[in-house]
Amino acid sequence: MTGTVEANAERILERILATGATGDLVVQEQSSLSLKAHDGELEEHKVTSTRVYGVRVVNDDRAGIAYSEAGDTDALDSMVDQALVNAAFARVDPAEAVVAGNTTLVSDDAMLCPEDPTSVEVKIDAALYLERELTARDNVRNVPYNGVQDLVAERHVFATTGRTANSRNRVCSAFAYALMSDGDKDALEGTQRHARRFDEIDTAWIVDETYQRCVAMLHGEALPSKHYDVLFDVEHQADLFAVFHDMFSAKTARDGINPLRDKVGERIAVDTLTIRDAPLEAGGLGYALFDDEGLATSTSTLVDGGVLRTLIHNSATATHFDVPNTHNAHRSPRSSMGVGLHQLEVASGDVDEGTLTGGEYLEIVDLAGLHSGGNPVTGDFSFGAAGFLCRDGERIRPVRNITVAGNFFEMLQRISAIGDNQHWNPERSALMARIRFADVAISG
Amino acid sequence: MLDSRVAQSAIDHAIALGADFAEVFVERNQVNNIATLSNQVRDIASGIDFGVGVRLVYGAKVLYGYTNRTDADELKRIASELAAKDRRDPATTAGAFDFRTAADIHEAERTLSKDSEVRDKVGYLFAADRAARAASNLISQTQGACGQREQAVEIFNSEGLHVRDTRHYTRTRVQAVASNGTEQATGMNTDGGLLGWEIVETLDPRKCGAEAARQALVNLSAKPCPSGRMPVVIGNGFGGVIFHEACGHLLETTSVAKRASVFHDKLGTTIANAVVNAVDDGTLRREWGSINIDDEGMPTERTQLIKDGKLVNFLADRVGAAQTGLPRTGSGRRQSYQFAPASRMRNTFIEPGAASFDDMIASIDRGVYASHMGGGSVQPGTGEFNFAVTEGYYVEDGRIRHPVKAATLISTGPDVLKRISMVGGDFALATGMCGSVSGMVPTTVGQATLKVDDILVGGNA
Repeated sequence: MTGTVEANAERILERILATGATGDLVVQEQSSLSLKAHDGELEEHKVTSTRVYGVRVVNDDRAGIAYSEAGDTDALDSMVDQALVNAAFARVDPAEAVVAGNTTLVSDDAMLCPEDPTSVEVKIDAALYLERELTARDNVRNVPYNGVQDLVAERHVFATTGRTANSRNRVCSAFAYALMSDGDKDALEGTQRHARRFDEIDTAWIVDETYQRCVAMLHGEALPSKHYDVLFDVEHQADLFAVFHDMFSAKTARDGINPLRDKVGERIAVDTLTIRDAPLEAGGLGYALFDDEGLATSTSTLVDGGVLRTLIHNSATATHFDVPNTHNAHRSPRSSMGVGLHQLEVASGDVDEGTLTGGEYLEIVDLAGLHSGGNPVTGDFSFGAAGFLCRDGERIRPVRNITVAGNFFEMLQRISAIGDNQHWNPERSALMARIRFADVAISG
Repeated sequence: MLDSRVAQSAIDHAIALGADFAEVFVERNQVNNIATLSNQVRDIASGIDFGVGVRLVYGAKVLYGYTNRTDADELKRIASELAAKDRRDPATTAGAFDFRTAADIHEAERTLSKDSEVRDKVGYLFAADRAARAASNLISQTQGACGQREQAVEIFNSEGLHVRDTRHYTRTRVQAVASNGTEQATGMNTDGGLLGWEIVETLDPRKCGAEAARQALVNLSAKPCPSGRMPVVIGNGFGGVIFHEACGHLLETTSVAKRASVFHDKLGTTIANAVVNAVDDGTLRREWGSINIDDEGMPTERTQLIKDGKLVNFLADRVGAAQTGLPRTGSGRRQSYQFAPASRMRNTFIEPGAASFDDMIASIDRGVYASHMGGGSVQPGTGEFNFAVTEGYYVEDGRIRHPVKAATLISTGPDVLKRISMVGGDFALATGMCGSVSGMVPTTVGQATLKVDDILVGGNA
């Protein structure tokens, strides 16, 4: 790569302005370390360093995008020219404009990108430890998926208006998934942990938790097909919501494929459900000081007491619908401007753990086929699942080889209880109270 | 793309650090993606991906790094950082490069570097939109996509290999949304291949649009699917995803070498019903999953995986072959320079049989005909898989009754292979993207219509 990000950005923006267009630029830099172990040896050791420029130009109310991983001036000039060519074919859209203003936002490195005192050697030892300790446990055949990662990502936004924003983030993680066998029974289970610093990750906990999950699930069987009350663990409750994130998207609403597009102000869920987008929740790894238009973020209440209060917007969708911008602009260097949630929050309800887990219910701790088994347009879904049949908070027996199916939008109307505690999912990207869904179709 | 002296310098450095094998993988990937929303252009995105991957192998250990820079100092820095804990006296010597260009068996004409042909592609997608909306006034909109990319790769390794290849991928997709005012449903049609925009000469946008609309309208009228264990007839073409997920991934040395596949010790044994013959073939001319050479520089080949129900081969990349003692199969693939290669599928299919569709349906008392499948996933260690049914029908007393929606098929690879009892003759291939340890790669799946005697269907009825 050639030149600093700032110098290249200045050149790119000047080239855009020279054509009479406006535009903005997203630059993403990333460096990472990734380690995996197998049979007591380090199987993979990966170090990476990349930088990618993504430009959006707006010319005569038409937007075009282009990107480049090559950082020489010819490549960057060509990128701008290609974006202008692409804009010429785009639909006329007066709403898509570069937002006025010349603010500068810079995130706090001490908070989001602390120096990590853990050496590479210690991280290698940690990867080897995860595999070695789990392999030594009873009935563990091997640990096919394990690893330690350290990722530092820097994001820059520059606009022809003079607006700039910059953020650096570090995320360290460790994970292990073990294959356990006992006779003709086998189970592949695991867990993961993510933190800003590697020394905040408890690898011994990962070993114990992964082993316990394998033991618990090894002798799981299907159960009779019928409708059950269901509680997802926080990881998979967050995953389930993620499949249907587009229900909050003003972009899909504008495109006519969001079934909630005409529901703002209407009840879409039980009156105990409140959902927010909480970009400034500091405990999360999805913390975002600004969106991808470089605009300062704030908390948005999306569903309040079961009523849909707003969709998530960028400047274009907000202009189109003539509503306030929620500052959820989202685009990678390679993509056009869309919208995205920063950190989803399901607010605490008023039901204590004992009441939440009263009577018989199915606790789901694994979902399969999330990328293919859900239809965000219709809300219909059918996923493979595993978990535990429970009664009054006690796990009665493990359950595997089942499916959970239904319509997500209808499920929001059939929430029977919401817990009074919030929990982060393992990726620390969603903060959620646990929800008990009533009358969910389970096939076994 | 990379000065061979720079590559030689990096490889010499890696070998001097004691690596058994060193490789430099250079990629320049030009992309053009067009998206339409009904009769409007929604997005056009263009770009260049460029980077260099450096791989060092010490025994069974793979060290991998990548960068966007092309100078020798940067490549040597990566090699040194990777080898920090493994550095030792040199174990071998690097060979001088013997340059060759890969034989091109998938020639392309209307390539991206010649012309992105945006106007023509937009015209194609608009024609598909018109056809979809002409099918019914219940079709509320379409989403069209046309993606073309030109991936140039250059591979150097310490055994003296220096080879270049260029791959031209083109793919189209039309999705129709049907709405009756209270409910919505979707239908999709895709096609693609390892060729340039000349693919349009074999595609009729009216058929693509009409097919997407037909499926959306069927799904709009669909009822909740019954659930439980029952026989299922799986349609041809993309129905082959069931074999891809349920079996194919389990035959990659990526999982076999770790004993993380239920089939890792089953070579030479019967793992499927005798009617099942399965192949992974990278040589099919201009097919989406084909290649000239794999991403380790080896010419690709046709690999028989299952013959008359017996497991006869695995898919092996360089490291997988070293770990298992099996021959390489030209299957070392990766999404981009950002991934080390791994054993991956190419065009994977069950060979056609002789059963008739009518006989399959007639043999079912209560079951499902899954005419079109969506994606799925598998746990290689246990073989447990799931597939989404994107167009399905309830079958009762040997007759197709009505469409069903939101169905998923759940089983394990070893179980379902033994329960394939009938394979038809209407063989077809279909395109897809496959995700695994070395990223997303284009793959083709395929089969004729076939019957599985017993599988768990997850529905909402």
